Amino acid sequence: MPYYLRKRIVDWIIHVVMIAMLVATLFPICWMMFCSVKDNLDILIGKIALSNAHNDTYEIFGDKDNLWVLTSDGGINKWDIKTFKEEGYASTQTQTTHFLLTKEYIWVSSANKGLLRINKDDLKKWKEFKLRLPDFDKAKVVGTTLISAWNKIYFTMQYKGYEELVEFDPAAERTTRVYSLKSKLSPTQIRSLLPIKDKLFVGLDKGILKYDVKSAKVEAVYDLSQYLPIGVARMRAVDGKIVISGNTGAFLFDVGSGKVTRTIYQGTVLGLKVFGDSIYVGTNRGYKVFDLKKNTIKNYEMLFRQVRADGTVVKDSDFAPSDVSAFMKIGNNVYIGSTYGRVSVFDENANKVGRTSSARMGHLVISWINYIDMWRNVDFGLYLRNSFFICGMSMIFAMIFATLAAYALSRFEFPGSKLFSMAILATQMVPGIMFLLPTYSNFVKVTEVTGFPIKGTFYGMIFVYSAFYIPFSIWILRGFFAAIPAELEEAARIDGCSPIQVFWYVVLPLAVPGIIATGIYVFLTSWDELMFAWVLTSADTMTIPVGIRNFVGNYQNRFDLIMAAATVATVPVMIVFFMLQKYIVKGLTAGAVKG
Amino acid sequence: MFKKLWKRVVKYKIAYLFILPTVLGMLLLHVVPIFQGIYMSFLNLNQFTLNQYLGAPFIGLRNYYDVLINVNSPIRLGLFEATRNTIIYTVVVTFGTLLLGLIVALMVNREFKAQGLVRTLFLFPWVVPTYVTGILWGFMWQKEVGIINILLHDVFHILPDKPFWLIGPNTLWAIIIPTIWRYWPFSMLLLLAGLQQIPEELYEAADIDGANPWHKFWMITWPLLRPVWAILILFGLIFNVYGFNIVIMMFGFGAGFPGEWGDILMTNIFRNAFMQWNFGLGAAISVLLMLTMILIVYVWFYYYRKAEEIRE
Repeated sequence: MPYYLRKRIVDWIIHVVMIAMLVATLFPICWMMFCSVKDNLDILIGKIALSNAHNDTYEIFGDKDNLWVLTSDGGINKWDIKTFKEEGYASTQTQTTHFLLTKEYIWVSSANKGLLRINKDDLKKWKEFKLRLPDFDKAKVVGTTLISAWNKIYFTMQYKGYEELVEFDPAAERTTRVYSLKSKLSPTQIRSLLPIKDKLFVGLDKGILKYDVKSAKVEAVYDLSQYLPIGVARMRAVDGKIVISGNTGAFLFDVGSGKVTRTIYQGTVLGLKVFGDSIYVGTNRGYKVFDLKKNTIKNYEMLFRQVRADGTVVKDSDFAPSDVSAFMKIGNNVYIGSTYGRVSVFDENANKVGRTSSARMGHLVISWINYIDMWRNVDFGLYLRNSFFICGMSMIFAMIFATLAAYALSRFEFPGSKLFSMAILATQMVPGIMFLLPTYSNFVKVTEVTGFPIKGTFYGMIFVYSAFYIPFSIWILRGFFAAIPAELEEAARIDGCSPIQVFWYVVLPLAVPGIIATGIYVFLTSWDELMFAWVLTSADTMTIPVGIRNFVGNYQNRFDLIMAAATVATVPVMIVFFMLQKYIVKGLTAGAVKG
Repeated sequence: MFKKLWKRVVKYKIAYLFILPTVLGMLLLHVVPIFQGIYMSFLNLNQFTLNQYLGAPFIGLRNYYDVLINVNSPIRLGLFEATRNTIIYTVVVTFGTLLLGLIVALMVNREFKAQGLVRTLFLFPWVVPTYVTGILWGFMWQKEVGIINILLHDVFHILPDKPFWLIGPNTLWAIIIPTIWRYWPFSMLLLLAGLQQIPEELYEAADIDGANPWHKFWMITWPLLRPVWAILILFGLIFNVYGFNIVIMMFGFGAGFPGEWGDILMTNIFRNAFMQWNFGLGAAISVLLMLTMILIVYVWFYYYRKAEEIRE
């Protein structure tokens, strides 16, 4: 191979590797910014792409011609029931979605968009009902519940402490009434609703309420926390009884005696439906059918084609059991929804999985709401102000004193200059906590003796930071002053300048780039400082790192808010750095390479 | 003799004036606290005696005995693990940043389009504050929702299961990789500046002698970069032994315990000092750590000097 060709190939390979490394390097930052505008639920279910990412099938409904495959992130799939061909698709871009199918419409309830009505024949036709809910906190909603009964629609939001039930009139298209379900189990979270005859049964995280809508009264309360400690997630009516299910199993509940009469299944229940006398319980591996008349339990464990998260089949011959989260039984066929939005037909008699297809999911919700939520929850403006003030003032003081000292050190060989420069280097070798422990005690003691507060004040922090960063600044700045030719100063001295005039009019202007570089470095480093600020600031003087630490400690599972806070802390320093990067790159490399 | 010294002091009075504020600041925040800290390590200074300040009961070398020799003292719990983790963490991070920085510095030192932009983009991680680095990677390492497990398991199918990154021995990697990610651009910056100062003629001469790239690197680039990488190793060792922010923010977002494979000395001392308010023990460990570091720096200077002498 000729030399020039080999050289070009090698060059090209290096180029590709470099770009790959660049992408890998920048990825975490981009990911942080991207997650800061994502919805937390999308993060929690692991949605990563911009659209059409998959999660579990939430519900399947079927009628004569169509199969409706619905997902909790607002994906509505309308399929032909025989061929599984897609006939319509809509994404409502909602979170914690619950669906209700009536003759003409699909009703959609969600945390972020309230109540939606979609035309079954034309999925493009939507109507959105903005609802004013009393004392409603959208950020806390984990689910919604929606049922239709007595020509009305009842729905509620699921989160701890929210016990309001909204009645909506679909004919008049307006909210007619709001019920408060306060009972002796309060405060609870409403998990499910079920109308039987003229009574409404409400599944809570502690038990069941029997509610009379007409008189707006709680008629009975059943504490079921010994069976379902996390809550009654699903309820279905069967033959005068109620099947209840949750994280720990499925049980038969008798309303008359108010007691659980039979355990159907113990374990996590993912789906629950009743067809005739049969109760279908979806589990982690297939499903179970309880026949109420014969009092028998049948177990079905079917093998599915394996699909990836994007819905493509892994291998045609590859089969595996799966969890089952939704059912629809029509005749002998059971339509099963499982992981990754996979829907299959299952023949119960032949025990065989037939046609399988993958449902399209809702789109990722991108919004600025996280930043607004975050700003509302914590006083981020205060932290930013504090950080800018403390770091800025520390930078100014550190620069003034470090410039003077570095100049003196680089120009004069005064007695003790060796010791002084040794001391400067030595301070860098001592762990910060070594200074922090005594400084903390000293601050407390001084306040105790003189009554003059230092800990938790601005000037205390500024003093600590500027004194702390001066040695390092001197170390960098000395290189800059050494680079300024001494002849200039001598010439100025001969012209009759005093030493201070020489410093002010000759040396300082030449050293400005170095001072700026060092100043930015001090600013960035103090912006980054957590340990001292953690211990030495109070609620009023808290800087960004401490504020963020407290904030993320309180919102451990709100990754969207955490990422928004992280972005807010990063962007100001990025802007500062890239406005002045020429100075800092030149300054740091000049100082370090020479030193 | 004193007269002579005094004469020189008077002659340089302007210099003393210039360093006066710095000396005062350093006295108050560096010199006095160090001696106080050393004294505190001989005191029984815990939550009950904290308000007695330096008048707390003097217990001699008891704290050192508890840290180094007494097997039954509660402070020893986790100290060995923290020390082990700190050593692995420091060494891997220091040399990892150096290696990565060198590779990328060599890459971006070539001529290509948008050279300046690429160099700037490579510096991005270095501007991200360290506490944000901890939070961000803590989020990325999550078992179910973290992007790393999603990429490794769901997208590229490299791993059969999603492993725990923040529990168990994996934790060590979970703290090392973000630290390397945060600090390597700085190594690259300095190494690139060093590379640009190597005269082109040396390479041309080597070309004439028929040297291959490998020889050129080991004979020219590496030795001439020695001042840069030597200082990077020294600073890396000091910086990473005293690393704190990334680790503390990664576990429970600043509220959690990093576990026996994630705890390093600084988090250990901070926990003892400011969460259990045992200042005496914290000071004792700090003093020991400081002595170790002084030893390391001394060794570094010794070898650096020696190598310098050989070269000359």
